[in-house]
Amino acid sequence: MKSSLFSVLLVGAAVSVGIAQEPPKRIDLNDPNLVVVDSSVIPIPLEIFSSLDKLGTQDWSKQVESREIKLDANRSRTAMLFGLVVSDGFIAVQAQDKEAVRRIGREVLRLSSSLGVASSVEQHANAIVNAAGQGDWPVCRKELDRTRQTVLNKMAELRDDELVGLVSLGGWLGGTQALASVLKQNYSVEGSDLLNQPELVKQLKDDFNTLPARAKRGKVFGQISQTLDHLQSLMKTDASGAISKGKVIEISLSTANLVEAIYEI
Amino acid sequence: MRFDRSIVPLVLLILGLCGGSLPLWGQDPAPAEPSTEVEPPPVHEELKRIAEQVALPELSGDHPFILRESNWSGQVEPGKARLIQVQLFKRNEYSFWFVVPDRKAGLNLSLYNGKGELVEGTNRKYETPNIVSLMTSAGETGIYYLRISMQTTAERPQPWTVIYAYR
Repeated sequence: MKSSLFSVLLVGAAVSVGIAQEPPKRIDLNDPNLVVVDSSVIPIPLEIFSSLDKLGTQDWSKQVESREIKLDANRSRTAMLFGLVVSDGFIAVQAQDKEAVRRIGREVLRLSSSLGVASSVEQHANAIVNAAGQGDWPVCRKELDRTRQTVLNKMAELRDDELVGLVSLGGWLGGTQALASVLKQNYSVEGSDLLNQPELVKQLKDDFNTLPARAKRGKVFGQISQTLDHLQSLMKTDASGAISKGKVIEISLSTANLVEAIYEI
Repeated sequence: MRFDRSIVPLVLLILGLCGGSLPLWGQDPAPAEPSTEVEPPPVHEELKRIAEQVALPELSGDHPFILRESNWSGQVEPGKARLIQVQLFKRNEYSFWFVVPDRKAGLNLSLYNGKGELVEGTNRKYETPNIVSLMTSAGETGIYYLRISMQTTAERPQPWTVIYAYR
């Protein structure tokens, strides 16, 4: 039976009061009976930048790059490029660079076309370009996240699940490269802990390693697993709760090398 | 955990304006089906829309939360819990919203750190117990576990959706 949510909730309002249950103070994360939800949400770069900016204004404009994107027939690579370009969009929004965001909005549309999902993305891409023209950064940010999510949903719908993980991986990689680069230039112990993501890297690595071989054709894909292994060992705070400047530099270098390799044909 | 009921009337109004026609399992009992983690997407889409409507007051004003487009969803049985692994960042505040369709379904939402210790936060309970939110902040950067559970006030397994925002 379907009924109006409004009427049912109003009835509910008169008779129903939420009963608070005290949550356990501690849970055993090794309990085999725990059911962990088998889906992940990867943080977007702005979520991380938001924390870093609370320590002081950062110069994000140096992280905005304009690269020529050469496409080939490798859809896996295109999926990673899509993730990277969306993360570039977030960086350009953080830097409030109108021209870069407009350019990225157009690139997003071109890449989504190559992935066969342009019709779902078009309105968001246009909204990004228009909002960037007006300097409406909250709308740019929202539409970039919507673009990313729309592409992921569409790919899942089209049973292109293999590409979903690669889009997420590309987005995470681009954001991590920018974060490490900013921290390298303006290192602080407090800021360095934003790179403390060993479990997230492990999850990305496990997801990547379970992809079928057909989704990992091309020389760059051999480099990904190796780089993620390396990053997992680096992106971990020490006893003092920091990641050393040396490790930050290494993270910056590793991520930059991988990004470069993805852009190269 | 602290509880805040100050926004109940607003939420009721918002939900009413949704005018949705979400299937209400509690209203129309049917034979129980074997539980699965996967529900037809339209139900979860509808739940996501409702959660977003409930979240609206937190997304504006001087210090708004920024809503993520991503979400988690699945199915949970009465009296059971699920854990959602999420990477959070120090200095950010987070707000999570958890919703199921059955208005009799009491929900619990809490956050644990990587050692399994409860993280302090503020729960918001709404007039119908099938929506709950949690506002909290990350003491350190790392993996956290969001624990969602449904009380036995619900009779049947429920599809659920969780959304979140940061600032």
